[in-house]
Amino acid sequence: MSSMDTKAPFQHSGKNIAQLMQTLLLALLPGICASLWFFGYGILLNILIAGFFALAAETAMLGLRGKKIALHLADRSALVCAALFAIGIPPGAPWWLVALGIIFAIVVAKHLYGGLGQNPFNPAMCGYAMLLLAFPLQMTSWHLPNEVVEGVLSVDNLGIPIASAEQEILSPLSWRGFKQALLLSFPFAASSDFDIKAFTDGLAMATPLIEFKMAGQSALLAARDSGASLFSRESETAWEVINIGYLFGGLLLLYKRIISWHIPLTIIATVLIVSALFYAPGSASIYGTPYLHLFGSATMIGAFFIATDPVSAATTRPGKVVYGIIIGLSIYSIRVWGSYLDSIAFAVLFGNFCAPALDQFCRPRIFGQGLLRATKLTETNHESTKP
Amino acid sequence: MSPLQRIQSMLGVGTSLSSRRTAGGIKPPSYKEHSLRSRIMPMPIPPQLKIPVGATESGTIALDIAAGDHVHKYQKLAQLQLSAQGRTSIPVHAPTSGIVSAIEEAYVADHSQQKQVCIVLKTDGLDTSLPLEPAVDYRQLASEELVTAIRRAGIVGMGGAGFPAADKIDSAAHQALDLLIINAAECEPYISADEALIRERAEGVVTGAEILQRASSARRCIIAIESSKPNAIQALEQAIEAQTNITGNCELLLVPSKYPAGSEKQLIQSVSGIEIPSGQHPAQHGVLVHNVGTSYAVFQALVLGRPCISRITTLSGQALKTPKNFEALIGCSVEFLFEICGIDKSLRHKTLLGGSLMGLQLPSDNAAVSKTTNCLIAAGSDELAPPTEIQACIRCGFCADACPVRLLPQQLLAFSKTANNSQLLEHGLMDCIECGACDYVCPSHIPLVSIYKDSKAAIETRLTNHERSKVWQQRFQYHQSRIKKEKDQAPTRTKAVPAKKPAAESEVSASNNGNEQEFFSKEKASREIAAAVARVKARRDESKKAASVQDKSK
Repeated sequence: MSSMDTKAPFQHSGKNIAQLMQTLLLALLPGICASLWFFGYGILLNILIAGFFALAAETAMLGLRGKKIALHLADRSALVCAALFAIGIPPGAPWWLVALGIIFAIVVAKHLYGGLGQNPFNPAMCGYAMLLLAFPLQMTSWHLPNEVVEGVLSVDNLGIPIASAEQEILSPLSWRGFKQALLLSFPFAASSDFDIKAFTDGLAMATPLIEFKMAGQSALLAARDSGASLFSRESETAWEVINIGYLFGGLLLLYKRIISWHIPLTIIATVLIVSALFYAPGSASIYGTPYLHLFGSATMIGAFFIATDPVSAATTRPGKVVYGIIIGLSIYSIRVWGSYLDSIAFAVLFGNFCAPALDQFCRPRIFGQGLLRATKLTETNHESTKP
Repeated sequence: MSPLQRIQSMLGVGTSLSSRRTAGGIKPPSYKEHSLRSRIMPMPIPPQLKIPVGATESGTIALDIAAGDHVHKYQKLAQLQLSAQGRTSIPVHAPTSGIVSAIEEAYVADHSQQKQVCIVLKTDGLDTSLPLEPAVDYRQLASEELVTAIRRAGIVGMGGAGFPAADKIDSAAHQALDLLIINAAECEPYISADEALIRERAEGVVTGAEILQRASSARRCIIAIESSKPNAIQALEQAIEAQTNITGNCELLLVPSKYPAGSEKQLIQSVSGIEIPSGQHPAQHGVLVHNVGTSYAVFQALVLGRPCISRITTLSGQALKTPKNFEALIGCSVEFLFEICGIDKSLRHKTLLGGSLMGLQLPSDNAAVSKTTNCLIAAGSDELAPPTEIQACIRCGFCADACPVRLLPQQLLAFSKTANNSQLLEHGLMDCIECGACDYVCPSHIPLVSIYKDSKAAIETRLTNHERSKVWQQRFQYHQSRIKKEKDQAPTRTKAVPAKKPAAESEVSASNNGNEQEFFSKEKASREIAAAVARVKARRDESKKAASVQDKSK
């Protein structure tokens, strides 16, 4: 009999970490499915590759650290880390890129700091940031198979959709789409006469927000003049739908009380308010509309899934609110004034830096402490309770 | 209370009375329905009773009887004179008639976990009793007389605290008491003794509340009960209505059904909105809380003239065939009660005293039922067996959301691991009420409460050690300075010495001040040694000089 068995409390809610992680994975599904639908198998391959290497790295590190492997693997935290990491990696990235990032995340950012619960920084975002610094080119271009691009994206060099009545619409989820995604992930498997360039050439695309930022002014103006919105230029409304998917998953987490509302709400509110403040219809295109900031990029997944990682986030309620504001401001600032294209990873890591101080200084008032007017309270009560 | 008012009260928007929000809390399954299926059962007289009087540490025991004496039911057997307050005492009465066979130390089913002096009574089964002398009419008695009668009946806090009820009233006697709360919020799972009591004997409870209100001269009296107990609420409403027609002015207030709604300071907040500051007593703020069980015992004492010889105890758990509430005689063994409930010992995994969240495990069935034994659980093997695999804290904060004191258990855990006492105190470890809500919700199954208990104990020993060493340090320094003074004042000294004396004194006092703040350190020691060497040198030099001066003068 362990000491737990003999000391109060004897009753337990039955919750455990594995359940929490499983619900988190479940909540990611709507967003992942939307990505899959619009961008093909790339994201799925990324998740599978990351999941495989995450489990391998986790097992190896648990073994090296002399922990019970089966017990700790069962908490599924490595899988959650892998999923969050892989979602941020562009589809069509080579397998070694994914593997390198997730191994860095699990080994360096998680286990070298003491494993689950001890890492001061979000491991998935550490892996992502490391890749972004080391492989900026691979990390900022979304290589998609021809299948996908031909099917959904037919644009001229100004970014205006070409009327494609005669063009055959191909599904990114077709068998050919799968084969091509596979070849993009595992380039070594292609036969020597197969030219990857031939079907991935010039297909780099990024989130609408990034397009907005990088595209030349004239091209943008031209596009707007011709009545094309940037969303419709992309695979119809892919990013909106994906973001709505993650929003949906996030609401599920809130409903299940796995995360509290403090962090996601403050991030979204901050991004919304700041982007609304800086946006004016005539202003420079770089600022973007509030709608673009919320639904045109990775804001939702960042707010609901990444910034809420409990281990590295602020843990007190007031601390969480400040933490959310800091991340929201960082997201907007890095996007608009920074030199990186999207900003969730750096914003969250910056928030992680602040978290310990927030926990120390933003604490809720303890019951019965700091009551200077305690005696007065009774007097007011005298008044209020008079029948 | 009309249905409309009840709904208003539940929603917290009521016109007359409504409960205020309190922080945190959990809603565990209560398992109370098993023991509430049948009515409170009177108990057959067991062959032997071990009536606890008290631990020898807690006061002096004055026996009224000796081994071999025959006693009647209700006869006063002994009393415990509490050493802390010389005036107060807790008398003990015979629950039935019989012969005192021995007076010995034995284990008692209460939270003290130490042996207590018990009077062993061989019952004769006749149950012959002394005539009861009910008080004339409690409405005509002064509050002091009521308090004396409550003290004479040996009533203690039946909720589990065991503090003499009369003393609690006395502690607030010099204050204008605004509010008396009768605590019927029995929020811990399994325990249904109070609920059963209210369902069946609400008139007694309400009358007791009125007596307590008169005894403590409280302006208002509110009976607080959780909104999830409709039968008990109905019984109380009827009893209050009946009583209001005569003299009383008790009110009923529904508080939200969550754990720990019945914790004293939390209950005060939800009833009155007053937040009792940390380390202060409710009485200092014009509030007094008594348990419903206490209230009923007061009713028995003043209306029936019956001293406290029994209490309602819940017997529950999967190992029992018929869980129920008993009117248990004080001093009967736990085993006897379990036997009547049809215990299957092969099914039993463990025995708990109290509820499932703050109870403790009883080492044996021999323990005697005391005035505070509210619940006994014979738990089956898959019952109340929390998960044993402990995982790392992921700082999810569920514990902080559950904490009724708004502590940050996740931070306290981290500081406990590193024994960072200053941070532990800063983060309010001493305000933890050990309710176990954080443990209950922890997905990593960390035994938080027992970790905090250990940390608290460690801090307390450290503080007492520190205090003690400070005292000895001061004594030692005083001793040294005295010796020095005597030496300095010795007549053999030369002229040069008096000039140095004030300097030496100021040095002593300076080091005194320093010692109060810092502990022994190597650097400091070496610094002091160097200083001492320098002093000796200087003294030698001076005495040499003095000698030479003397020489010259010669």
